[in-house]
Amino acid sequence: MSSNAPTPLFPTTRREFLHLTGRGIGLLAFARFAPEFLVNSALAGTPGPEKDRPILVLVQLAGGNDGLNTLVPYEDANYYRLRPTLGLAKEKVLRINDTLGLHPSCTALHRLLQDGKLAVVQNVGYPNPNRSHFRSSEIWETASGSSEFLSTGWIGRFMDNACSGLPGADGHDPVGVHISNGVPQSFLSAQDHPTFGLLSGAGNRRENEENRQLLESLVSQPGAAENDNATFLKHMLMDSLVTEKKVQHVLGSYQPSASYPGNAFAASLRNIAGLIAAGLPTRVYFVSLSGFDTHSNQANQQANLLTTLAEGLAAFQKDLELHQLDGQVTTMTFSEFGRRPSENESRGTDHGTAAPLFVLGSKVKGGLHGTAPALNLAPNQDLTYSTDFRSVYATMLDRWLACPSETVLGGKFFDLPII
Amino acid sequence: MKLTYPATEAWEPLPAAEWNAEAARQLLRRAGWSALPAEVTRATTEGLAATLDRLFPVQPALFIEPRLVAHLKEDVPEMARGLAQAQPGPEKQRLQREARERSQLAIQDMSIKWLQFAAQPSNAAFAKWVLFLSDVYVVAVEKVKNAALIWNHYDLLARHGFGAAPVLAKAISRSPAMINYLDLNQSKRGAPNENFARELFELFLLGEGNYSEQDIKESARAFTGYRQQFGVFRFVPGQHDASSKTIFGQSGHFTGDDVIDLAFRQPAAGAFLPHEMVKFYLSDTPLPPGYLHELGAWWRARDYDLRTLALRFFGSRLFYAAEFRGEFIKSPVQFYLGLVQDLDLSVAPLPRSVLNPLRQMGQMLFNPPNVRGWVGGRNWINSATLGVRRQLVESLFSPIKEDNLNADEQIEFVAARANGNSNFTASDALLAPLAALDSAAAADHLLANFLALPAAPPFRDSVRKFLAADHADGPQKLRRLRRATVTLLQSPEYQLC
Repeated sequence: MSSNAPTPLFPTTRREFLHLTGRGIGLLAFARFAPEFLVNSALAGTPGPEKDRPILVLVQLAGGNDGLNTLVPYEDANYYRLRPTLGLAKEKVLRINDTLGLHPSCTALHRLLQDGKLAVVQNVGYPNPNRSHFRSSEIWETASGSSEFLSTGWIGRFMDNACSGLPGADGHDPVGVHISNGVPQSFLSAQDHPTFGLLSGAGNRRENEENRQLLESLVSQPGAAENDNATFLKHMLMDSLVTEKKVQHVLGSYQPSASYPGNAFAASLRNIAGLIAAGLPTRVYFVSLSGFDTHSNQANQQANLLTTLAEGLAAFQKDLELHQLDGQVTTMTFSEFGRRPSENESRGTDHGTAAPLFVLGSKVKGGLHGTAPALNLAPNQDLTYSTDFRSVYATMLDRWLACPSETVLGGKFFDLPII
Repeated sequence: MKLTYPATEAWEPLPAAEWNAEAARQLLRRAGWSALPAEVTRATTEGLAATLDRLFPVQPALFIEPRLVAHLKEDVPEMARGLAQAQPGPEKQRLQREARERSQLAIQDMSIKWLQFAAQPSNAAFAKWVLFLSDVYVVAVEKVKNAALIWNHYDLLARHGFGAAPVLAKAISRSPAMINYLDLNQSKRGAPNENFARELFELFLLGEGNYSEQDIKESARAFTGYRQQFGVFRFVPGQHDASSKTIFGQSGHFTGDDVIDLAFRQPAAGAFLPHEMVKFYLSDTPLPPGYLHELGAWWRARDYDLRTLALRFFGSRLFYAAEFRGEFIKSPVQFYLGLVQDLDLSVAPLPRSVLNPLRQMGQMLFNPPNVRGWVGGRNWINSATLGVRRQLVESLFSPIKEDNLNADEQIEFVAARANGNSNFTASDALLAPLAALDSAAAADHLLANFLALPAAPPFRDSVRKFLAADHADGPQKLRRLRRATVTLLQSPEYQLC
């Protein structure tokens, strides 16, 4: 870093951080940890961020989205038999072909489908489905078999395989960013990778800023404890504050080119667009939309959620296009399970199995993929999946993220022609 | 690390004159999860000996068997019979899956219930003691695959946790979970499996270097025939190798129990558990061997009584020495339960918001990564886990959005609220009393309550300035107090105890 360079608005290395917040803590205070520190800072100046790498945005529909009322088989008498009150009338469905259409709340997604930017993968699930939210989310996020327990997530294993030693703008730019309650299980990895969590929605920017500033001042001066562990913790925290400062600066100055709806989900997508536009080397973003567990009075609740989803994604896609970043980003939805084909007595649906998922982006081969589920079912019988979710992951890994899927998924799953 | 006391004085009781609020905080945080002001006052008033007696009672309250575990236990024989009768194929797979799923739900339920139990200040020290013992006598649900066996194992640790260590070790050798976990169920005359015998010496009783390979081979023969059926220990004489063995230089027709008695006669047996206690409770830096031998010899002379050892350890001068204050990195469980106590919360009956963060911070209850248990110390901390710690604090200050809960969570949530437990996130009532103070006094209060060591003046000043900003009053003042608290709980200092 040239000494003539203007003082940056935010530090990009821990050294600058120390300099800017400079309360005389000095390197000497960290003597035991200095070598690693200096190595990181030395690295920081050299390689630029990898700007053109493909990016994956994961959208979790938490709670279990009802697939049959998302992608509606409006010509199938069985559908109306299974859904006497919840069945969506044929004339309201947004038609895709002669038999299938989208939920009426999905107009924005329907438009993207017509433009060839949205793929709908039908009837995605896995063998021996589990109907617990907790466990089935774990299966999806760790990409395990139904009876298999994995301690790492599929994105974590992608990071282990593809992101070690990734030259970022500095040593600790995040390779993964999540906007959800806690770190998604998908991100759990064997090695340590810089990841970063943003609060949902726009967050409270003032409070975030206050929090960061106070924390910054607390770590940059002698605190209560002056021992090796205290120093070690200060170091680790400083790394994340450097990232945070950068991220908050980026978000604060981002000018979206599309207008986003006024809800937390859309604000989260706006923030993701902002970080992508800033050229962060982040490869995977994770955002969660919850409330899909519609055991009773499903109709309104799901309609509202699908509107939020569709309008948010459409604004996000448009924003990326206007920034000419759309070629770099693919977005994919997932949910821990679909819902029971037979509606229940409370005008809702109980936990089920397979469901369709959406893949969105300018490089996506739009339209319907896979096969629709058979609906000649007995009351309360569940759908049998036709596409394994790990095939969708394999496709994203092999064809989009350019990472051999077998190393991440521990086996070969067939790619799908969705991208 | 420079030690204040030489080995010969280190384990002497703390002189009464040195028992003060600071010392009480050290005891409450290290033996339990946090140092609540009321508990500190009570401890200083009662004195050290009485406080230790209260924290470590002769008959501590036991963690009651959770309902799902009890149901699982009742059904285990029938499930096992069903499995045994089923032909290999889809039906058998379905039954296996069902068993696994029930076990998984039971473990989840047990984890939440255990956290709720351990969060009670009166249970904290003993619950943590059992957690410590479980970090020595390790089993993991991932391999054992049956929540009922895991519960039994923890119940054994609790029931024998304040008795004689040899009795505990013998009980553990019969623990159905242990029999599965370290492959005793595979071990038979003519084909002994050495897994249990090896870990018994290396990780449970003596430590590496204090036994020979020959000792392991011979001891493994003594533990042949240990079986469990439906969660009950069974000794199968036909599978047991009753012939003569030579262990630690002695020969005889030793049984498994004899092997444990022989091991406790080894010089290394006294120092081993104290070494583990130091690692779990006190410091990443091991004490020099002389210190451990000193305590080990003392303990051995008291027939290896575990409660006596705990009282000696937590009452010693060394335990309160300055070098061990505020330098130990909190485990995820300690961090979480410390927050629960410090913020006067109830543990939410929501696995997603409670167990996921623990897992993401690196500690899944009842499921340590391997037979060594959790490594602890700096291994708890990396960029991701530190991020989870910070986010956990934020989430404990953000009211739960009921609309976002899944239906099963809503049921638990409503039930807990009906029982009067609804303080799952921090309320302003906690901080309201501080709003009456000036910023300096409020800062001092926060620092004294939450941090393990007195804050240096510049640190204190940052907090004070933050509280005083904008000449905040009323709701603004409360908001600043809340934000200052969130930040303090995210600070490096709060990760230490």
